Amino acid sequence: MDNVIPLIIRSLRIPFLLLIGVYSVAVLGLVLIPGVDDEGNTWHMGFFHAFYFVSYTATTIGYGEVPYEFTNAQRLWVLTTIYSTVISWFYTLGKIIALMQNKAFIDAVAVSRFKKDIKTLHEPFYLICGLGETGKAIVTSLTEEHCRAVIVEKEKENLNKLNIDELKEYVPSIIGDACDPYMLELAGITHPMCRGVIAVTASDKTNLKIAISSKLLHPDIKVACRSEFKDTEENMLSFGTDYIINPYESFADTFSMLIHSPSLHLIHDWLTDAPDTKLNDPIYLNKGPWILCGYGRFGREIYKHLKAKNIPTVIIDPDEKVKADFDLLAEINQFITGTGTDHNTLNKAGAATAAGIVAGSDNDSNNLSIIMTALAINPEIFVIARQNKHNNRILYHSSTQRNASPDAAITRIVMHPREIIARKVRAFFLTPLLDNFLYLAKQQDEEWANITISRLSAVIGDSRPHTWSVTINPASSPTIVQAIKFGRTVEMSHLTQDPGNRQLKLRCIPLLLIRDHEEILLPDEDLELKLDDKILFCGTPAVKRNMHWTLNVMSSLNYVMSLKDEPESYLWRLFRFYRNRSEHRKLKR
Amino acid sequence: MNLEKVIFSFFMILALTLNFGFFYGDVANPDHHDIYELFAVVVINLIATVLKFGDRSQLGAMLLASSLVAVVQLISAVLVWTFAVHIQQVGLTPAVMATIISLSGGALLANIISVILLMMETAMLRR
Repeated sequence: MDNVIPLIIRSLRIPFLLLIGVYSVAVLGLVLIPGVDDEGNTWHMGFFHAFYFVSYTATTIGYGEVPYEFTNAQRLWVLTTIYSTVISWFYTLGKIIALMQNKAFIDAVAVSRFKKDIKTLHEPFYLICGLGETGKAIVTSLTEEHCRAVIVEKEKENLNKLNIDELKEYVPSIIGDACDPYMLELAGITHPMCRGVIAVTASDKTNLKIAISSKLLHPDIKVACRSEFKDTEENMLSFGTDYIINPYESFADTFSMLIHSPSLHLIHDWLTDAPDTKLNDPIYLNKGPWILCGYGRFGREIYKHLKAKNIPTVIIDPDEKVKADFDLLAEINQFITGTGTDHNTLNKAGAATAAGIVAGSDNDSNNLSIIMTALAINPEIFVIARQNKHNNRILYHSSTQRNASPDAAITRIVMHPREIIARKVRAFFLTPLLDNFLYLAKQQDEEWANITISRLSAVIGDSRPHTWSVTINPASSPTIVQAIKFGRTVEMSHLTQDPGNRQLKLRCIPLLLIRDHEEILLPDEDLELKLDDKILFCGTPAVKRNMHWTLNVMSSLNYVMSLKDEPESYLWRLFRFYRNRSEHRKLKR
Repeated sequence: MNLEKVIFSFFMILALTLNFGFFYGDVANPDHHDIYELFAVVVINLIATVLKFGDRSQLGAMLLASSLVAVVQLISAVLVWTFAVHIQQVGLTPAVMATIISLSGGALLANIISVILLMMETAMLRR
């Protein structure tokens, strides 16, 4: 409010002065002009009555001439009073309305409201800079999990497009340049509850600046950045940015999983997908050569993985310079100059016999044309498309669905940068253990992935898997800590038992257990839990809520561990004590 | 010479002098204190207060605060007068008059502080 009140009173100075002046002249006049009372005596109005009369006349309420009928001299004075006071009021009201519509005033009100919102945030929150398509996806997925978020965005339009009222949590937002450290401070970067900064503006430079500012202003918080160029990425790493997401690299990484093991790709997909999307079926690739159209940032990342797997690849790119660079590498793979949008080039590249094609240029029209032409030559070809603009989604959707019967295996993948980044950020901030799990999983073989998939689907069924982590410490699982301190042995199976019915198992599986520096993939049921263990579970949200009982309520833990139910309140304990003693006596007799 | 400064100082000093004029005299004698003068003191003090609006300096805040104190004191004095004459109709007894005058004395003190602050500001500008 430190900006709003001075703004109001400063601009209302003249109207107030005018009102005071007009009122005082009117009141003084009424007091001075003699009147006549009902008995014909000369009578003077007091200040009290004069002020009363002027107040109701000026506001056009008008109770009439009180307490006695006015003389003509008084009426003449009242005439001037009416016009001057009423006009003064109109002027004042006009000023107030003009102030309400003043842009500076509206901005000042918005900033002071935002400041108040940040001040009253008492839960952990994440600061999101840049509300482009990526930012929106991140805000939505964070609020779905009931995490608080704060937005800083440059364009008012983007803020309007995100329907803040439809989110599950209230999200304070402000219009401003996140490059400005003052803006970041305003948005609560130094707030003790700020857990992380997510820099996903469209420009790498801005993201870099945000990362530096965050690390300087609040060194403890985690910073996640989007970066599309290698040199910014290295720069960000140099001062300790916690998480850098390059959408091309991330997608290429997922793609490598796909060529390595379809089941592994499926596990990755299941666990990282946003909670409201549908479960996918596994994707199987045919063996054979690949065609790569567009050898830019995206194409290079994909090519790295194709080459690592020794898959013969034909590269198509219109740029002669790129071809010269490629020739220098002395690769065995063929390079064709062209866009790949015409039959000739694609035929030359062997589209008729190729297993897959990557439409990876930075131009959506070209990519769509490549897909259509390739599908016309070879309807069986596997298509990977790079989607640059989010609003072209419908076009990509219909182009990849052409000629595809609904129950045929999936043969088309579209890469959306925004979804990839949103997924990564969600996993990084909400379930940090998931990243460890996926990293370990990548080093396992196809057989392991198949077994894991079948275990996962047995437990979860058709619903979306939900992952959460449990730490054996007093904050996250007070009962387990207490039980361990009592010297009891708590096993993993106790956590996965239903606290409502001991005979049943909760529909969840532990994916990973971290103890000191040891990481145990898919820990066994009879594993004994120790203090400070971190466990990653996978199940449904309902199961997570059930598990909370075991973790937080001693009687629930006692129940699943088949121990006696201990009374928790003092009175009941006393009662139990006396009853036990009397039973003891009876036994003695 | 700055016309704004002249008007500003004029109203502040006028508020002080009028206030003193009303305050001066026997504390319990209504004949020594004129109601028109009280009216003028209230109006001039209100104007002085509004003139001080919107100055964000430390001195400006002090000036505004002292003026607000004066206004509160004077309005209380007016209310006491109104209650005695129009509502309870006991008239201006020595006790009532003493209350009114001591309230306006408080306002006088606040106005003196205002003028001292104004003088300090002027002296600082000279330097």
